[in-house]
Parts: sequence; structure tokens; C-alpha cells
Amino acid sequence: MNTSPATLQQSETELPAVVGQLYQKFGGSSFVRQHTAEGMPTVWVGRDQILNVLKFLRDEAKPRFEMLLDVTAIDERLRIHRDGQPASDFTVVYQPISFSGNCDVRIKVALHEDDLNIPTAIGLWPAANWHERECWDMFGIVFTGHPNLSRIYTPPTWVGHPLRKDHPARATEMEPYSHDDEKVDHEQEAMKFKPEEWGLKRKSDTSEFMFMNFGPNHPAAHGVIRFALQLDGEYVIDVVPDVGYHHRGAEKMGERQTWHTYIPYTDRIDYLGGVMNNLPYVMAVEKMAGIQVPDRVKVIRVMLAEFFRICSHLLFFGTWAVDLGQLSPLFYAFVDREKAFNIIESITGGRMHPSWFRIGGVAQDLPKGWDVRIREFVDMFPKKLREYDKMVMANSMIKQRTMGVGKMNTQDAYDWGMTGPALRATGLEWDYRKNRPYSGYENFEFEVPIAVNGDCYDRAAVRVEEMRQSCEIIRQCLENMPEGPYKSDHPLTTPPIKEKSKQDIETLIDHFLSVSWGPVMDPTEVSMAIEATKGINSYYLINDGGSGSYRTRIRTPSFIHIQAIPFLSRNLMLADFTAVVATTDFVMADVDK
Amino acid sequence: MNIDLFPLVLYSAIVIVLIVALTAVSHLLGQKRKDHATHEVYESGQLSVGSAQFKISIPFYLTAILFIIFDLEAVFLIAWAISIRETGWLGYIEVFIFIGILIAGLLYLWRSGALEWRTDRQRMDLQHTLGKGGVVNIKPKSDKAEQHKDAHHGGH
Amino acid sequence: MSWELVKPEDTYSPSPGMNQFDDHIRKNVIMTTLEDMIAWSRKNSLWPFNFGLSCCYVEAATAISSRHDIARFGAEVFRATPRQADMIIIAGTVFRKMAPVVQRLYEQMMEPRWVICMGSCANSGGMYDIYSVVQGVDKFLPVDVYVSGCPPRPEALLQGLNLLQDSVGKKRRPVSWVINDQGIYEREKNVVQREFRLKERIAATELRSPDET
Repeated sequence: MNTSPATLQQSETELPAVVGQLYQKFGGSSFVRQHTAEGMPTVWVGRDQILNVLKFLRDEAKPRFEMLLDVTAIDERLRIHRDGQPASDFTVVYQPISFSGNCDVRIKVALHEDDLNIPTAIGLWPAANWHERECWDMFGIVFTGHPNLSRIYTPPTWVGHPLRKDHPARATEMEPYSHDDEKVDHEQEAMKFKPEEWGLKRKSDTSEFMFMNFGPNHPAAHGVIRFALQLDGEYVIDVVPDVGYHHRGAEKMGERQTWHTYIPYTDRIDYLGGVMNNLPYVMAVEKMAGIQVPDRVKVIRVMLAEFFRICSHLLFFGTWAVDLGQLSPLFYAFVDREKAFNIIESITGGRMHPSWFRIGGVAQDLPKGWDVRIREFVDMFPKKLREYDKMVMANSMIKQRTMGVGKMNTQDAYDWGMTGPALRATGLEWDYRKNRPYSGYENFEFEVPIAVNGDCYDRAAVRVEEMRQSCEIIRQCLENMPEGPYKSDHPLTTPPIKEKSKQDIETLIDHFLSVSWGPVMDPTEVSMAIEATKGINSYYLINDGGSGSYRTRIRTPSFIHIQAIPFLSRNLMLADFTAVVATTDFVMADVDK
Repeated sequence: MNIDLFPLVLYSAIVIVLIVALTAVSHLLGQKRKDHATHEVYESGQLSVGSAQFKISIPFYLTAILFIIFDLEAVFLIAWAISIRETGWLGYIEVFIFIGILIAGLLYLWRSGALEWRTDRQRMDLQHTLGKGGVVNIKPKSDKAEQHKDAHHGGH
Repeated sequence: MSWELVKPEDTYSPSPGMNQFDDHIRKNVIMTTLEDMIAWSRKNSLWPFNFGLSCCYVEAATAISSRHDIARFGAEVFRATPRQADMIIIAGTVFRKMAPVVQRLYEQMMEPRWVICMGSCANSGGMYDIYSVVQGVDKFLPVDVYVSGCPPRPEALLQGLNLLQDSVGKKRRPVSWVINDQGIYEREKNVVQREFRLKERIAATELRSPDET
């Protein structure tokens, strides 16, 4: 462990409070400090101290770090610019978050290639379970003490660890896929659910249990996910979720694309979120490049992001009602989505995946006449929401099926890493848009809905109210849209405003380079999070001075939320399990990236 | 016997012929395919674990037994209903006693919890539900206020 | 019966090798062979299998909803079990972990069955040339119609369904295993819509500007 202090890249003479407390408790020589572009306190610590440090942060630090937001790893073997950082082949990164103190910290542990093990953090936060399985699957890092360290994204028969730098990225670099009956049998046998592996018994004293696949192909599963249910007749004894059927390797793709050409891949991470997915990525790159966007850009981004929040929540609403037996709201919700898509298509040109945000601005200016349709929508939508309230939320059968079902309190939410509407339904009033405003959200007046019971009904009610608040935000965007350019003037804006590049040779050179080679920025690390439709979505980018990212880490909310489903649905009935799955509101691309 | 059996025989014959014909036509039509997984159980596309015949828990058996009892009560009531004129007032009173005994049994079952299917967790969670549920910090705007606002906006 | 005074050769032909006159006759004179009737009934009631993988499934679900309404083309019910479905719409990326599942589901479908491949990822892997994605579902399934787009609009899916219905109406699948040769049957070569409609698209002179709405 390197004991010399990190070289200061920014002029920071003051230690952040949390780092000061860590130095006080464990001694300054145990840590190495690192500087990142957005100023998140980042310290390196030794493997033997990591659990003590995390426990201190969770229990004794002021403010307390209640939730573990992310655990990930970095393959540092090919990285060139690592000044001031300790020697490491693989780095494990922990990121706890403090809601009460509204701050973050990042803890890194250096590991050597021949000695890739680290103790598990499951004892502190149960939500670390799947994160650690992911690190094992992607990098081969062993977490000692983990109950079942098995592959999570890749099939059980996979050989190799995909996010390592020596693993092929392209499918065209590997053998073309083909299968015969024998291979299909082999794969199916490997995927077959074995209860003993998960510690589940096949029978109790009074009855035998049935193990059923709530399969990859199921109308109520909201995507390709498998839940292996341990059923005692109608009662759900235990659930084991199995993901990875939707793994598209977005993080590996980030290492192969330039900063600009990666934007369409971000769209498809949360496929209901559309342009909202571009936002954290583009903001992170702008932070790295030092670009300040004009006000018009901020308001346009907010408006489109809130439109997609409405679309996503409408789909949740329709499918949740369908799962509970009310078939009509689905059709109403989809008609409203069509109206919103009409508007989005007229502005961006695309329906579900516009990929419209750019580094430094948005792709085009708003078309003439954009406000007419939006005004119609904003006038029509609150009435629709009231109608849905009467039709669905006040319906006694819906209430009976969802009130008191799948309850969690705020401490459970911290343990299991729930963010977004699920956390707000337990009573904690915390929204990234209010507590850490980004992209101009501080200028908007809206309220953050909370509920107190934390059951299925409350989660759904919070989302319905969020739709109403989003409509309010769009109305404010409509009335207060500032004039101005739709892209910034900064040379790293990709691509720059076309008219400028036709007149000015410097801009033309920038345009040519950034579109062909890719914008190049100084090596650093940055992360940016937003309140996405499902929860906190954060992008952690590591720049090694190339034209693209060295490592792209996407912390998606749905991945974490699925871990909580067994906790929420044990000892409930199968019908309640469906309600819990529906209100967890996950999107499979968000889960498996 | 003054019952004419011929229509009954004809009807049975038609039923049998129809069923055989339908089955035969559907057997002959279409194609036969036997791929690897064609005749295996469909369980969302993956292999199933364990068999579907197994010992299930007691509440199911209990419900079945209760059904038998109350179903037989219905059979007796139907038998009485056919002969209601012949049995007269005496039969009426006797049936009331019969139903009364069974209602007493039903009340006993109800109070002793044999009809209760909720698990402990469901009961507890339902008990600890506070208030009416839903969002607590934002008051819903009433219909009248919204209509007035909509009319105002629409009038622009 | 509507009358037209055009030469049969110089109007656009509905499919290669056929001219409008033949098509006209076919549409208006009721053929009484059993095969035609069966083909007509099959094509007008193609029931899809409720199978969605990824983002394209959201657009397929939008095609079911009331605004686009796939039910008016006969695809009334989306069956949840493959045994009762006529066609499978592979909507979304085919992943390596999911490929054995898709194969198994396809095998559990009953004959006659058709495959519509929806979206770039299902057609060829799309923009995901990555280790965990199969580069196109035609690596292991026979596909009848490819619908391109990322994701394709619901209208594009409906057009794909129409093309499939046309091909079901024309190219017969065997009626019964007793009288026809079952097993291997020839699939007709797909017409690429882009080439087919190139002439009328090139002739367009008015294009809408994106600056106004």
C-alpha cells in the first residue's frame, strides 16, 4: 500500500468531512486519496480494513451512510494514466450513499491478479449479494463468505470473465452461434433450478414443496426473467430470481465506442426511459470536458425527460392493473402513451429510442409549433389521471389485493438498496431532483410524493402522483422556455452547431475529429447520477485519455430491486407475488444491462 | 314400460358418432411433428423440477371435505324441494332443523378459523396498515377546482 | 364486381411473375378447392404467441393496443402457451442464455407455425455485436418475415403481418399428414420491400422538413 499522499490535481486544501472522520478513526496512513472530476471523495484502503471501514461508515460516521449504492470492479491492467493511485490489477469499488447527510463516498480496494479475493459485505448490506456475484461473473473476483457465488449475467456454462480486458468483445470475434439438440439439452440442464444449491428444502414435515418456473416466458413477468418459486400449494415459501437472459454487454460495449457513438446504447439500457437514459451519461461527459450547457438545453432536457417519465409510469400503471385483473386500463394507458410519443416523435424523430441528447446540448432545435401539441397534452392529462384514480386506485378489489401486500419499511429499503418510488413509499422524502438538483431542476416547482405504508398500493400511488408532478414540470417548461442556442460553444461539443462549422475552420476541425476519431479529454474519472424513472441511475466513467471510455459502469436501479423481491414476497400467496413483481417495476434491460 | 327408449338410443348414438368423428378429423388434419421438446411439459421454456404429483398441505384437503359435506346438504335440499307439497308443513319444519344444525356447524368452522387462508405475515401486514393508503403529503385537487382551471385555460 | 379498363401488363404487379389480371380473378372468383379455403382461414386468424424479449416487445404491445389494433387483422388473441399459437414474433434481442429457451418454445409450437422476426437485433444482432448476443435468430430458427427497425413502429409490424398473411394465402402448408408430403416444404423467396418500393419512393418530390410540426 502506497503511503505517500496523492498528488493534488485540483486545488483542494480542505478534507471532505467524511474523509476527515475516516482519517481520525483509522489513521491517515491507511488511506490514499484520489481526485475525480466531480469531486466525490474517493479513498483507497487495504483489503484487511475494508469491512471495518464500511461498518464505520454505516454505523458511526456523522452523517451515517445508510445504503450501499454500488459495488463494482475495474480491470486496471491496461490502464496507462494512474498517477497517485496505488498499484492494482483489479480494483473493487464500493459506493455507499448517505441520505440524511446528502453525500457520497467511494472506497477502493486494490487487488493483485494472483490473489483475487476479498471478504464479502453481505453481513452489512444484504443488497451486496448480487453485486458481488456480478463482479465474480464479469471479473473473476472471489468474495469469501458469499453463500452462493455463481454466475449471474452469463449462462452457467460460460467460460471466462467478460469484462476482463483479454476477453473478446465482439460476437464476430468468437465462433458464430449455432446449436443442436445436444447443446440445447446441455444448456437447459445447466439452467435447471437445483433447490439444494440455494439452501431450499424439498419438503417439510407436513407437505412437499413444488418448484415452479415463473419462467423467462411468462405474460406477467414483465420481461425475460425467471423466478423459481418454492410453493406449498398456494403459499410462496421462497423465491429465487434468475437474471441474465437480457444481458447485452453494455458496459463492455462502452469500451469499444467513442464518447459520442455510445449514446444510442445508453438509450436501450432502460428501454422505457428513452432520452432520460442519455441524460446521466451526457452530463458525466460534459463534467469531464468542462462544458457548461446553455439554459435552453437544460429546459429542453428536463421537458423530454419528464415526458419519458410519464410514458414509463403509464406503462407501469397499465401492466400493474392488468396483472391484478383489470384489463381496460392497459388500453387507456397505451393511448395516452401514443399521444406522448406523438409529441416526442415530432421533436426528436424517434419514438422509444430517440438518442437525441448530445455531448454539449441536444441534436436539433425544437421545431416551430412545438408548444401547440404540448399545451394540448398538458391540459388533457390531469383529467385523465383523475379518471384513472376513480377507475383503478379507488377500486376496492385493487385495494384489497395490494394494501398490506409486500410491505417494507425504510430500514428494509436501506438494507436492500431500494431507491426511487419504492423508497419514497416507505416515508423517506428523498428525490435526487430536489436534494441534488441537476440540469436546472432547482428552478422548477414540484412536490415529491411520499406514502407511509411501503406496500404495493403505496408504491403505485406514489408513481401516479409523480406523473401528475411531471405534468406540472412540463407545463412550467412550456411557459418558461428560454431562448438561446441548442448546443454549447465549447470545442468538445460533439458535433458542433453545423452553421458554425461551415464558417469557422477551427470548428470544422473539431467537428471532423470528434465525429470520426472521437472527442479526447484529459484522463480522469467522473460519475453522475439522476433520478431515473425506476430509481437512482448513475454512470461512472473512467477516461484513460483515449477517444472512448476505459471503463463504463452503469449502476441501474432495477438490478438491485429484484433482489428485494424474495424478501417482499415470502409467506405470501402466489397472487400477491404477482402484485409485488408488478409494483417493483423493473425493466429487464435495466436489470441486465 | 311406457317410456319410449328409441329417442334416447338415437341421441346416444349421435353423440358417440359426433365425438368419434371430431377426434378422427382432428387426428387426420394438420401435420405431425415430433421435435425434441414437442411432447415435454411447457414450463415457460425451461426444464421443470420435480413432479406435479406430490403431497399437498392440509388446508386443501380440509376445503375438499367441507365441500363434500355442504354439497350433500344441497342434494338433500333438492330432494326435499321436489316433494315439498307431499311433505307439507312437517317437512318444512324438519328441513329448517336440518339447515339449522348445519349452520351451527358452519359458524363453528368460521369462528375456529378453518376457513381462514391467510398466512401470519399477511394478517400482520394488514393489521399494521396505517390510514387509507396512498400519497400522504400532497392533497388531491378536487374535481371542481380542476374543472374550473381547465375551463379557464381552455378559454384562452 | 368492379370494372377496370387497364391493360393487365402495365400496372404494378402484386408479386413477381404475376400480373394484375390473374390477381383480380383470384380475388373475385371463389375457388372452391379445400386448400384455398383452409389457407384463407389460416391467414385471417394467425394467433401470435405471447413472446417478447426486449424493447421491440413494447412496440408489439402497442400494436395490440387500441390505437393500432392488431386484432383487426385476425391476430385476435395472444396465446400464453405455445401449443395454441400459430406464429411466434421474436420481438427483441436473442441472447445466448435465452437461445435454448427460444428453441424449446419453438419446438413446442404446433404445426403450421410461422416466425416473424421483429427488430434489428432479432434480424441480425443489430447494433449489439457483443459476446452475449446471437447475431440473428435465423441462426437457429427458420424465419418467414423480417421486420426491420429499432424498434419498428407498430405500423411496421402490422405491415409485416400483412406480408405474412399474403404468403400464407399463396404458399400452401400441407393440409394433412395423410394426404400431403409433410416435413420439408419449400419456402418462397422473400421480396425485399425496400427494392420493391424503391421506384415510388424515389419519385417523391415533397419531403417534410423537420423544423416544423
